[in-house]
Order: sequence, then structure tokens, then C-alpha cells
Amino acid sequence: MSYIITPDIVRYACTCGLLKPISNLYFCRYCTQLRCSFCVCHEVDTNFCGKCSENIPSSEARVKKNRCGNCYICPCCEQELSTRIASTKTLSDTEDTKTTPKKMYYLSCQFCRWSSRDVGIPDQSTVTGGWPERENVHANQLQELVDMYKAIVLAQKQQQEKDKKKQRGKYLSYTDRTGVTAAALRKRIGLPAELTHPLLRSKPKEPEPAVAKTEVEKLPIELFTEPINLMDITTVDQRLLQPEAQPTTVDKLFPVHKQLSIKRTLRCKSCEHNVSKPEYNPSSVKFKIQLFAYYHIPEVRIVTVEPLRAGQSCELILKFTNPSQHQTTITILELNLEQQEVEEAEVAPSFDNMENLSLQEKQQMSLPSMLSQPSSLMSMSTRSPTITVKPRKISENVNCDVDVPSSTFILPPRDDAAEYDDSGDTHNIQDDTKLVKWRKSNKAYVKLNVTPKEDLGLNSDVVCGFTMQHVYTNTITGQMDKKEPQKYDHKVKVFLHLGKLVGSE
Amino acid sequence: MELRDINYNKSDYVETASGNKVCRQTVLCGSQNIILQGKVIVQSEAIIRGDLANVKTGRYCIISKEAVLRPPYKKFSKGVAFFPLTMGDHVYVGEKSLVNAAIVGNYVYIGKNCVIGRRCTLRDCCVIEDNTILAPETVVPPFTRYSGSPGSCIGDLPECQADLMVDFTRSYYQHFQPTKLI
Repeated sequence: MSYIITPDIVRYACTCGLLKPISNLYFCRYCTQLRCSFCVCHEVDTNFCGKCSENIPSSEARVKKNRCGNCYICPCCEQELSTRIASTKTLSDTEDTKTTPKKMYYLSCQFCRWSSRDVGIPDQSTVTGGWPERENVHANQLQELVDMYKAIVLAQKQQQEKDKKKQRGKYLSYTDRTGVTAAALRKRIGLPAELTHPLLRSKPKEPEPAVAKTEVEKLPIELFTEPINLMDITTVDQRLLQPEAQPTTVDKLFPVHKQLSIKRTLRCKSCEHNVSKPEYNPSSVKFKIQLFAYYHIPEVRIVTVEPLRAGQSCELILKFTNPSQHQTTITILELNLEQQEVEEAEVAPSFDNMENLSLQEKQQMSLPSMLSQPSSLMSMSTRSPTITVKPRKISENVNCDVDVPSSTFILPPRDDAAEYDDSGDTHNIQDDTKLVKWRKSNKAYVKLNVTPKEDLGLNSDVVCGFTMQHVYTNTITGQMDKKEPQKYDHKVKVFLHLGKLVGSE
Repeated sequence: MELRDINYNKSDYVETASGNKVCRQTVLCGSQNIILQGKVIVQSEAIIRGDLANVKTGRYCIISKEAVLRPPYKKFSKGVAFFPLTMGDHVYVGEKSLVNAAIVGNYVYIGKNCVIGRRCTLRDCCVIEDNTILAPETVVPPFTRYSGSPGSCIGDLPECQADLMVDFTRSYYQHFQPTKLI
């Protein structure tokens, strides 16, 4: 619920240092790091029209200026226009219409009642189209400019390629071996020794420059004398909807093609693996690749908070949910923002370093067997990262202390059938009853004690934070010599907005 | 935030074998045309107009208090015709909302006091925020958040929206419990 409409009260720190709700985070299995929308590359996967749900190839979308050819929006209120059938019984030759009543179509907006008849667009005989497109008065000039710049780009590319070839040619051409250079050869034939600069040689045709006029039209006096009817004048939004025409009066509003939507592929900036890849079908909500944090990182939710008083300990009940298919152990550690910065300072200089460091860390942690095996991280380090993200400082004003529990607790794997299982499933887990209050399938309700700082004023927002360490089981397939899934201790910093401070007596 | 228990008076609700919980203080016209697939909650003073055309909901739908589900009509040259209203799984309709749509997809969240205009199509995974008025025949694409009057796209949704909605409607159903007599 909280992720759908209410503000985010539980936020996780992404690897880059930004705080996001878990639903907006991704988890790269290859780097075993959290990624937010700023740490991934966004690529356009498919273009589609949101109204007709039709995929449009990118080349076609480019030609159509990223607009749908069939769907229109209202130039007044930007809602979708629908095609209406007009009864045409008023035609002159009545005998014809009686036998085959001709259907005519026009566009109308169901919200503001604008219709294509208002601006004098003739009704069409087909459902989908043939709506007249309006020519832009400056279309020719724009096209000339575009052509010129394209020609310049092309010339520059050719020049670059030529330069490359020249460099290579120094050592590889046969003329070098024979001692006859290209320049000497040209001289012998009687041509000028050096070619003219290609940019000068094939200079793109420049369009006629705009000329400033000395005589301008006089300001029409009607502007001052005629009373303005505001109903006839378009709003700024309406004008900007059609930037090429910018109609000033309502009678020049013409239907606008609907803009296309896109589906995005997201790619981790560090290892270039996809973290999200949608299905091709525009109306499908499934994914081919979905490495969302919601499916891998335990979710934390606030169940209840005692009234918060400054300097006094109060009880906080949190619900932990394990979304993964593997059992995990959760340890709550102290939030240590300073230490993290030191670590980062060491790590920041080079990415390779960072990877090696993290690799070492991981090896030290739990896996002696890893030393003998080529890990995914090893093989990855040969690949150079596209962009190294330097983590920033976490900007959250934590003003509440968490009593860190000494014990850990286990979360069983997610079981979709558990919903239908009424038997008490305690999984025979020995829990610290002071920490875990209650558990059901893959969820555990955990009690923590929090103490807001003494110097907090009334009604100030109380924010607490802790580091959650959980065992992440990595099951990347297709790796050599790996039968057993690997386990990592993964740490995430979690920040909770507990609410306002009440009376401090 | 975890949902709190929502208590209801047991005598006010009818629970069917498939797990539907329907309040007695509702107006269900043409009940033979209304199909509730199971685990659907219809709360007090909701109106479902099955007399106009078929109304079909998926599993785990929540129709809040005073919400109205009304099949859309279309004008033809010879009068009007009503079209069935189909609703997918895991749909939440907020209080006092009027749904006049033709198709409501799966995992759709409709807030409070909304008007979903005639013959709208809400595709899977979309959110209509509170107090939105959707113009008739609007198509809401997947993973979009609509708001305002007339409703327009104001943002997008996280990719795991489907799972969030499943979790939300399931936990709503689980927390929707009769008041225990002490």
C-alpha cells in the first residue's frame, strides 16, 4: 500500500548513496549491488502508442517524429480524440443515400466537446484516416538546414576515416616498401602533390541566410482598438502543444498526433548486464529479465510504533519479508555513516581496485572454496566498466538511536503455496523471543527499541536507520565449476520515517 | 506501513463458498449478470449495475464503500447499447468512485472519488490517483499514474507494480476480518 499512493516511509540506501523505496531499486546479481534508476543505463526498447497499443519500429517512429499515425489528441484539452460517425442523410441525391447510406467520420473530444468540424476540417469517409496534415510554412527552410548539417556531419566522418587510413597506410602500403610514395606518384603523373582538403572540396550547399529588413510592418492599430474576446484566444499550453504553428486563435487549432510511449531496457552501468528487459508486446506487464530489489532484498515494513518521546525508549515493530527462494539470516547492525565514507574513500580511486577489494572482502567473509574457483567477479574484471559511479554521502538526518539486538533471526524462503496451508508452520526455528514476536511463512515480526534524541523539538520528524545484513544466495547459472549457489553477506542501509515526536514528559 | 485490521460486523456480510465477502447493504442489480470470481470484497453501499450488462470481476478485487460499477453504453443511430464491464484480478476501487469503464485490467488501483468515464480502457498495472476524472474513451497504458481533471499521465510506476498490487489486495483480504465478540 505504502508504495502505491502514500509517501515513502521506509527507504533503502542505493549503492550510489541515494535513498529510494525498495520498489524503485534494482539488484544487479552480477555485481551483487543495489542500483537505482540513476545507476542504470536507460535504453529505448520499443516505441508504442498508448492508445492503440501498437508497436511502432524505431525507424518509423523517427520518421513520424515519435507520434502515432492514427491517434489524435485534442488541441484544446490534450485528451484523446475519438472518431464519431456522422449521419449523412442530407446529401443532394437522395436516391443514392437510401440504398447505401454513406458514413462520414469526424473527430471529437469527449471531454471538452471540441470537434474537427469546429475548425472546418471536412468529414472523412474512412475510419482511420486521411486527416489532412497541415504543412509547416517553414518546412522547406528547415529541411534545407537539416540537409546542410547532415552533409557537414558526413564530410567530417569521411575526413576522420581518411585520417585513420593515412595513419595505417604509413606502415602497411606497398608504396612504402617500393619507395614510391603516393605523393611522388601523383607528381610523376602530373597531379598536384596534396589533395585539397575534403571539407573545402565538397563544401555543403549553404541555405540562404536570413536577411534583416530595415522596413517592418506597422503595428496594426486593431490591437489597441478592438476588444479582446478571451474565448477566441488560445492558452500558452495550447500554443506550445503545436510548436511549429503556435496558433493564436482558437479557430486555428488542429488535431495533434498522439505522442508515442516507450518501453525501457535497463542496464547496470558497472557490468553492463541487463537488470530489466520488458516483453515486446505493448500491453504486457511481464518482463524477460527482472532483477528488481523487491524480489531479492528482504522487505522492511513498519507495523506499529509507540508514541515517540524525546529521550525515551519506545517500541517499534517491524515486519521482515523474505522474497527470495532461499533461506536467509538477518542481522541488524548499527548504522555507521562515517565508516562507510572511509571505505569509499579507499575504494573510489579506481574501479578495478574496488572490485578486487570487494572480492577479497567476500572471500574473507564466508567462502574458502571460492579461492580455487574462478568467480564471476574475476571474469568480469576484464571487462571495463562504462561509467564508474562515485558514491555520494547519504543525506539523511538520523535523529533516533536504535538498540541493536545481539541475536539474528532466520527467514524461511518464500512459498507461494503457504497461503493455502493452514497448518501452523513454524519451521521449527528457534527464535530469540525478545527479538522475534511472531512469524508466519516467510515473514517475521521483529521488535526493536528506538530512542529519539533528547534535543528534538515537538512535532519534528523522527528518522531512524540501521544496517540490515542478509545472506544473499546467488544462483547465476552458466558459470564454470559451479554447482552450489554461492552465499554472500549483503548489507543494506535502511532508513525509517517513524512519524512526529509527541509530548516529551 | 503494514495494513491494520479492518473489522466488519459479521451479520452485515455474506461470505460465499469461493470467498467473496459481500455486504448486505449494497445494491446489486441484476445479480444473475454479476460474476465475482472469488475473494472479492464488496463493501457497504456499493452499487453494481448488473441489470445493464454483464459485470465480471477477477479474483481479489476490492470494491470500497459507495463505489459504483456501471457498464458503459454507446449511442448508435438506433438507440443505445450497453457493453459488459470486465475487471481483472487484484483491482482496488476506492470509496465513492464511479467506474464506467469497458475494461479494467489486472493490478489496477483506482483511488477515492474518481470518475472513470464511459468506455475507458485501463490496461494492466496502472494507478488512478484520488479525485481523478478520466474523460470518456480514454486508454490508460500500463505502468502509468493518472491524476487530475481531465486525467492525464503524471508519472510512471515501478516495474514490480504487479507484485505490489498482489501483495496489497491479498493482505487487504487477510486483514478484512469480522469483529471478534468478546
